Amino acid sequence: MVDIELAGVRKAFDEAVALESVSLSVAEGEFFTLVGPSGCGKTTTLRTIAGLSAPTDGTVSFDGEDVSDVPVEDRNVGVVFQSYALFPHMTVAENVRYGLRFTDPPRGLTADERVDELLELVDLPGMGDREPDELSGGQQQRVALARALAPEPDVLLLDEPMSALDARLREQLRREIKRIQRDLGVTTVYVTHDQEEALAVSDRLAVMHDGGVEQVGTPVEVYEQPATEFVASFVGENNVLSGAVTGRDGDELAVDVGDRTFHVAADNGDADHAVGDRVTFCVRPTHLDVDGSRNRFPVALGPVEYLGGTTRVYGEWNGQEIVLRLPEPPEVDSLTVGFDPEDATVL
Amino acid sequence: MSALRDRADAVALPAVAAVTLLVLTVLFYYPVGRVLSEAVWREGSLTAEPLLAVLRDPFFFGVLAQATEDPSVLWTAIAPHTLRLSLPFVDAGVAVTYPFPNYRLGLFGFTAYQALLSTVASVVLGLPGAYVLARFEFPGRETVRSLTAVPFVLPSIMVAIGFIATFGRNGVLNDVLTALGLPQVELLYTLPIIVLAHAFYNAPLVARVTATAWESVDAGVAETARSLGASPRRAFLDVLLPQLLPAILTGALLTFVFSFMSFAIVLALGGLSLATVEVWVYQRVSQLDYETASSLATLEMLFSLALTYAYLRYEARQRAERAARPPARKRLFGRLNADRLAVWGYVAVVAVVFVTPIASMVLASVSGPSGLTLEHYRFLIERQATGADFQIKPLTAIRNSLLYGAGSLAIAVPMGVLLAVVSTRDVPGSKLVDTLSMAPFAVSGVVVGLGLLQGLVFGTEVLGYRITVAGGVAVVAAHAVGAYPFVTRNVAPLLATIDRSVVESARTLGASRLRVLLDIELPQVFAGVVAGAAFAFAISIGEFDSTVILATGSSAYTMPVAIERFIGRRLGPATAMGCVLLVVTAVSFLVIDRLGDGRGM
Repeated sequence: MVDIELAGVRKAFDEAVALESVSLSVAEGEFFTLVGPSGCGKTTTLRTIAGLSAPTDGTVSFDGEDVSDVPVEDRNVGVVFQSYALFPHMTVAENVRYGLRFTDPPRGLTADERVDELLELVDLPGMGDREPDELSGGQQQRVALARALAPEPDVLLLDEPMSALDARLREQLRREIKRIQRDLGVTTVYVTHDQEEALAVSDRLAVMHDGGVEQVGTPVEVYEQPATEFVASFVGENNVLSGAVTGRDGDELAVDVGDRTFHVAADNGDADHAVGDRVTFCVRPTHLDVDGSRNRFPVALGPVEYLGGTTRVYGEWNGQEIVLRLPEPPEVDSLTVGFDPEDATVL
Repeated sequence: MSALRDRADAVALPAVAAVTLLVLTVLFYYPVGRVLSEAVWREGSLTAEPLLAVLRDPFFFGVLAQATEDPSVLWTAIAPHTLRLSLPFVDAGVAVTYPFPNYRLGLFGFTAYQALLSTVASVVLGLPGAYVLARFEFPGRETVRSLTAVPFVLPSIMVAIGFIATFGRNGVLNDVLTALGLPQVELLYTLPIIVLAHAFYNAPLVARVTATAWESVDAGVAETARSLGASPRRAFLDVLLPQLLPAILTGALLTFVFSFMSFAIVLALGGLSLATVEVWVYQRVSQLDYETASSLATLEMLFSLALTYAYLRYEARQRAERAARPPARKRLFGRLNADRLAVWGYVAVVAVVFVTPIASMVLASVSGPSGLTLEHYRFLIERQATGADFQIKPLTAIRNSLLYGAGSLAIAVPMGVLLAVVSTRDVPGSKLVDTLSMAPFAVSGVVVGLGLLQGLVFGTEVLGYRITVAGGVAVVAAHAVGAYPFVTRNVAPLLATIDRSVVESARTLGASRLRVLLDIELPQVFAGVVAGAAFAFAISIGEFDSTVILATGSSAYTMPVAIERFIGRRLGPATAMGCVLLVVTAVSFLVIDRLGDGRGM
């Protein structure tokens, strides 16, 4: 197992720049996720780690050793792609065994024993003689995982491995991947566009946007303290408000937005804000409470989505969209809600 | 160790590309270059004289030849001609009249004109076939689809024999007319018969290309148009046809190029009175007038290269994706409605056009003045036993054909596969190799044959040594050049469909680029390699254009050359030889196909 270090990795294609100076460290044995919308550079970052894409600038190091010039087949990485990418002319067992042509199986096992062990691990015992096209999508992806793990890679790279599967299967398989990763302790980089999935499985995650890294942190840090407006609105739902600082009262800033003055906790943000500065802060829909005693403002209610157990309501205040979470569908046209200054995060 | 392997790996594919280019240079570029230099090189200096002589000769370019002096002839030549173009085949059946513009347009103009008529005929005959293949379900549909590739590899001289047996003075058509009490028709040595023979070759191509495009149009597209209020006809015209048009144009363009360069068909069915450029090149070569032949060949080559370039540019823009949901197929068998009736009518036409020539040839080979007979086959055997040295011997022709076929296969298959790999993968210079390797597609067999004759058979000086090559070796070279693009065309599309992440998965598991090619990619395209090999062999067996030039006056003749030699004197033995060729072609096709199955994957 190794740790991974990306230093100033830049990638330019013919005209477009895909990555803009990305620096990241992934600890040994960590489950690290790259999350962001399509085109943000997360897959290019993963391919750079794998050696499938050569960076224009910058270096990739495994355990402190620069591997930028090591070709993909010598990097000892295991990759699982969204499209499964099984070798269609080989059986399941032959697929899993393929990497063992180039590396000896670990712990003195024979290749056959290693294949059986891995099919056991991914919960497909005895399926070795099947052809790939006889398997369901979920089963094919387990075979792809077993194949990637067979040569005991230093790094496991997963590129949107579950995007082609349906929602329920996806949740089941991601628990399984997490279990296997934990058992093996293999350093893992996981790419997904699904922020919920990223929060659910990661030890730490990097939120990427426009070829750069916006924020790196644990799921709780990223959710509770988004560093940028992009992170605030990409990870979970959020209401983002901006206005001018009009005063400071101990730990609280007074911010004028529209015809209201909101009080928000100052110590939740990094920067020091002076009177007259423009600030942006965000409040999660779950923190906008009809019973809240402070920071109250009226919201004109619009479309309602009943989600079972909770209800999402799209409303409007001061010409901007405000999202609310209510216990049940409202029967009124407008509501006044408030929030605790501690629940606002200044960006 | 690993560094060494990396280096070998990095060098392997470019080296392969370089070797392929070298072979291509010796077999193709050098000989064709010789033809070119013959046309523009005289007594050690560059000259435009021979080319200009051709360009200024009304025999070759008709009124265009005078256009440099008096441009107004262009208009006077074209204006009345356009009117007459709208009236071809008016009294088809008895005395066919059609515009015969060669005195106005010259040899090149006539060649283009007959290619244009052939293109129209091929599209008209092919499009209904595309409709049937794409929209109807019937047992054997896949087989029929595969069969559309067959005319392409049918020996052209054999098809010509079939057409003579059908439409000739004593052909099947006249027998039928006589039996019905109708007057006989004389179609041999007329333009319609040449156009029909070209349609025989190219209509299946048009049908195949269009059907593929049709199947790749998502059913949802037409359904959306219908749901928005379009009638079925409007939906077809507004939504479907625009998506089919590129494929139809592709088919038409290819048909035009092939008909323009057609040789054996025109030679056998039209003779010198309907000569095209290609036939005239051959005529000049047999009169030993290499300068005119080379000038004509050079001009023809420039024209067909330009067209082929246009085709390749055009084709590159329209890679058909598989439709998310292909259009539903109707059952062909069922209660007879207008739709099905039309289809059955078309099937009848297809049966006549495609089956009759072959059936007539077989029939003619076993019939004589007094009914069924084996006398034509007996003639072949006797000729083998008692023929003089200068006469064509049937067994020698068969043996040569098989030998050259095997030789061509041995060169064309590895070369075609390697070019497919180089053209679909990221190898330095792959674009260049791809372009250079497609050129033989646009150069006619007669030109390649002429080049090999001048360059290798007559000999060439390399570093003071005189190198000459035997006729047989040159024939194999010409066949390999003609055949390898078919291997590439069969393998490259399959290689291109392999998911990039499949290759990358193998790489991350530790396989070198070369290993991935051997372990992962080639096994998946094995079916394409076998199909390409079958095509290559069949092409070699049936090749006539370059063989007839290279085999003249030597014992390197093949079955098609033998057939052509018999045609002039006795139709019977020619048809018998045609049947032998048919059987050998069919058997070798089947054998290669079976071998491919046996190997498995």
